[in-house]
Amino acid sequence: MKIPMKWLREYVDVNMAPQEYASRMIMTGTAVEGVDKTGEQFDGVVVGRVLTCEDHPNSDHLHVCTVDVGGEAPLQIVCGAPNVAAGQLVPVALEGARLPGGKIKRGKLRGVESQGMICSGPELDVPEGLYPHIGDKGILVFQEEYAPGTDVKEVFGLGDDVVDYEILANRPDCLSVWGIARESAAVLGEHCVMPEIAVEEDGKGAFEDYATVIVEDTENCPRYCARVIDEVKIGPSPKWMREYLYGAGVRPINNIVDITNFVMLETGQPMHAFDLSKVRDQTIVVRRARQGEMLTTLDGKEHVLDDTMLVIADHENATGLAGIMGGEESEIVEGTVRVLFESAAFDRANNRVTARKLGMRTEASGRFEKGVCAAGSMEALERACMLVNMLGCGKVVPGAYDNYPHPIEPRVVEASVKRICGLNGVSVPGERMEDILNDLNIETVLAGDILTCEPPAWRQDIETEADIAEEVLRMVGYEHIPSTLMRTETMAGFRSDKQKFISRARRELVGMGLYEILNYSFISPRWLEHLGIPSADWRLNPVQLRNPLGEDTSVMRTTLVPSMLNTLEGNLHRGVAEAKLFELSNAFEPRAKGELPEEHPMLCVGMYGPDVDFYTVKEIGTWLAAAFGVDCKAEEGGEVYYHPGRRAVLAHDNERFAALGEIHPDVAARFDIDGRVYVLEVDLTALMAMAKPIYGVKELPRFPAVSRDIAIVVKEAARAGDMLDCIEKAGGKTLEEARLFDVYRGEKLGEGKKSVAYALTFRASDRTLTDAEIQASMDKILKALETNFGAEIRK
Amino acid sequence: MEQQLQTIREKALAQLAEAQDTAALEQLRVSVLGKKGELTGILRGMGKLPAEERPKMGQMVNETRAAIEEALEARAAVLREKEKEERLKREAIDVTMPVRPRSAGAPNPLYTVQEELVEIFVGMGYEVVEGPEVEYDHYNFELLNLPKNHPARDAQDTFYIDDNIVLRTHTSPVQARIMTTRKPPIRIVCPGRVYRADEADATHSPVFHQMEGLVIDEGVTMGDLKGTLDAFAARLFGEGVTTRFRPSFFPFTEPSAEVDLTCASCHGKGCRMCKGTGWIEVLGAGMVNPKVLDMCGIDSKRYTGFAFGMGLERIALLKYNIPNLRLMYENDLRFLAQFR
Repeated sequence: MKIPMKWLREYVDVNMAPQEYASRMIMTGTAVEGVDKTGEQFDGVVVGRVLTCEDHPNSDHLHVCTVDVGGEAPLQIVCGAPNVAAGQLVPVALEGARLPGGKIKRGKLRGVESQGMICSGPELDVPEGLYPHIGDKGILVFQEEYAPGTDVKEVFGLGDDVVDYEILANRPDCLSVWGIARESAAVLGEHCVMPEIAVEEDGKGAFEDYATVIVEDTENCPRYCARVIDEVKIGPSPKWMREYLYGAGVRPINNIVDITNFVMLETGQPMHAFDLSKVRDQTIVVRRARQGEMLTTLDGKEHVLDDTMLVIADHENATGLAGIMGGEESEIVEGTVRVLFESAAFDRANNRVTARKLGMRTEASGRFEKGVCAAGSMEALERACMLVNMLGCGKVVPGAYDNYPHPIEPRVVEASVKRICGLNGVSVPGERMEDILNDLNIETVLAGDILTCEPPAWRQDIETEADIAEEVLRMVGYEHIPSTLMRTETMAGFRSDKQKFISRARRELVGMGLYEILNYSFISPRWLEHLGIPSADWRLNPVQLRNPLGEDTSVMRTTLVPSMLNTLEGNLHRGVAEAKLFELSNAFEPRAKGELPEEHPMLCVGMYGPDVDFYTVKEIGTWLAAAFGVDCKAEEGGEVYYHPGRRAVLAHDNERFAALGEIHPDVAARFDIDGRVYVLEVDLTALMAMAKPIYGVKELPRFPAVSRDIAIVVKEAARAGDMLDCIEKAGGKTLEEARLFDVYRGEKLGEGKKSVAYALTFRASDRTLTDAEIQASMDKILKALETNFGAEIRK
Repeated sequence: MEQQLQTIREKALAQLAEAQDTAALEQLRVSVLGKKGELTGILRGMGKLPAEERPKMGQMVNETRAAIEEALEARAAVLREKEKEERLKREAIDVTMPVRPRSAGAPNPLYTVQEELVEIFVGMGYEVVEGPEVEYDHYNFELLNLPKNHPARDAQDTFYIDDNIVLRTHTSPVQARIMTTRKPPIRIVCPGRVYRADEADATHSPVFHQMEGLVIDEGVTMGDLKGTLDAFAARLFGEGVTTRFRPSFFPFTEPSAEVDLTCASCHGKGCRMCKGTGWIEVLGAGMVNPKVLDMCGIDSKRYTGFAFGMGLERIALLKYNIPNLRLMYENDLRFLAQFR
């Protein structure tokens, strides 16, 4: 909300620099975005009188003028405008002047010296409407008398400070000059002087002779006020009004339209002016639209309406969208002679829904949805008529229409001084609170500890004691809030087991050399299809957003794998040689309609690089599990988006908690990945359920261990993990550890064979093992390997 | 014989002094004291001496032997030391050689910030609570005094699943869930992911993270809120960083405040970061609106409380001087590697 300081000063004395004023307002809750000056686009332009105007000796279109700019001697200026003539008052850019098009320098034009420039309106970048005929071709000629040398900004009413306020959602009353004036007065301790509203009804007949208003839906239109202006003379509004409107960011148009905008800015009440002669039967009906009813608004757009929308209509057709935009037909034009002013209140929720459905946000609709106080509608209408009197641009017809079946009841809020001090943590005497509240137009009486407060109608936000507490606190100043700490019982702060688990997982993964990434929780449904998982898989039926930003972010991810593949692809294409990444986030599993989805905390690891292979991700999975005391085995198989021969699941006690592998080349290609990438996805809920805390340590061994190696030759198909299981089973209790340490393939072994070597450690807890005992165990192990895998001892 | 001993002794000591390494010394030891050594030869020859001379002679041989052994040991010590010095010299390496590259990792800066904040509040006695990211409108809006079609909902452009389910627009619904299920005293913080229908740019992301705090008890004041946030600001950004409260409006708090922190890069003097004001807007806070307490089943006549909330990305941006929020979600390893 932009307000020129000059307009504000009509009602309240702001006796300080704009910056200081802004900071006082900010610290009491009215945010100020900035303070600007109007007319900053040019500088150094003054009024000049053209004394003489001769043809240029070397040109058929230029003129050589002498111009009095209030200096000792007149200036010689070369001017190309055909409309320049002696005797005119014109804007002159002096040497050194700054214009939107550049700086003005002394120079020669076709051999004749020119000491400045006579300007057109567009050369000053002053909008049409601010000054009559300013947009016309040729130089601007002033209509009024000004002394040569007068700054042109004064002529246009520019150079004023304009404060740009950011109004909070609970203070729609401050979306107006009067609201800001009242607020400023309370903040600065000044008096606010509002204009006395008095309308001279100088028209003939009565309202009813000219128009009929029927409000069918008083729920969505709690108040409708109207008056008729006859014998209207459309023309430009006076300079002061144009200046105020321009400063507030509204383009001046003509006196009637400017009055409606001026009143809206001043009072906060949107107004509408109808050309009454264009309203069929001079009847205005406020009703719900019929389902499918068509309407063309002022901006030329055609809309299909539904029966929740409120329209302004004649007996037959909708002519405007109530509180949003008027219709084309009854627009004010040059020849308009009879006008109906509308000043109404429309339901904020209904207005908001309609504006949203039609994709139309106007100044009026924005105000209605934030809340326009119905109590002020009539006053605004009267203010408009008073301005018509003042401008002499029409005759006010006696009588007004006012349908206001349920006036806003005054509200009384009781508040305890003691409780307010308690809530705010700031001690303020009751009398001071009473003064503060009265200054804010909240009629307050203090009796003992109780403040009985009656907020004005425009302060619908004040409902409870807490609201009163805030009014007091912001006027006392938030800077007076002390810095204390609670004096209540001490509480034990803690994190949940799940939070600790995830933090620990993060530390472990970072320790293993991985970087943590962040991805959006919503993805493209195509990414899920890219995985090639069977169509019955729930992961292909994700939770869908009703209003996504785009197709690419339209479903809640059911797995973290696609986002990881996209991240790997991004880094590959940026030329990053190696990436080892992880993400900890939720996957979303839909449940029945109307129920919240299940949120599964997941870990996804993704990597590529010269030293990365299947076993690198497998190591991450097994190490992470081990960190939580979970031993696991890899089993062949798992997700279809992995290489069929390089994929596995990790399981603990036959319960799966992770899937991993090299991404299938087809899937990789769909994600634009060229090369081998590896992924591991862990269901953290499952892993957390398996996690075993360390409780009690084992006694340290007292007897020595004996180490033996065993190397066997087996067929290529024999799997290292199966053989390890076999060794552990056959080795019995005294086999403390078995570990694979070498796999060898060579010509000597023969085609399809490999040599596998394990390091075995034997130990008993109660004695030193004898050679014979160990040999017996070794024999058993060998026998088992022979039987199950056809193993031969390697010689 | 005596003469002979003397010669052996002198010769041995002279050779000994000349020995340049432990190997030469050992050779000398063998040639004098060894089984076939000169001194051993003399001992052997003692049998030819008259019996009365033998003790005296024996003693002289032993003395000579002891003298040579002592000298040998002394010389050996010197040589060993010398050889050790030489070895150490020889073993010198180029310490400026680069180390073998090691695979390093790092947590995301966002979670580093989150863990830091959580730790600060756990230390002040807060429990860390989480809630669903896909949430009922009831918890996300209605219990927080944001009824349907309330314009304040516009400030939080919402992603909808259906009429009643949304992607939470803030972590406040966790507070609503706690207030409806627990009795005061309540002291919680809730970190988590939130969603707003904003296009991604330098300062916006449709997915981001917040952490909110809630305290409800008897006699909790706005001063307690300020004290808590002052303590938090000093812990997070360093001593000397405090808060400035400005009046504001949130539907779920009353009174409400925007909270600025002293600009950590200029210590409040005014710089480019804080646009010359010395302050940086970081939090929203206020006293829990009694309407919210009542809607959640907490007696607003007896209890008061405060709530505060902040964006974690914003804090990460400030703390690590990250110029653009988009960097946080691009996962460029060259960015991530700077946080190890």
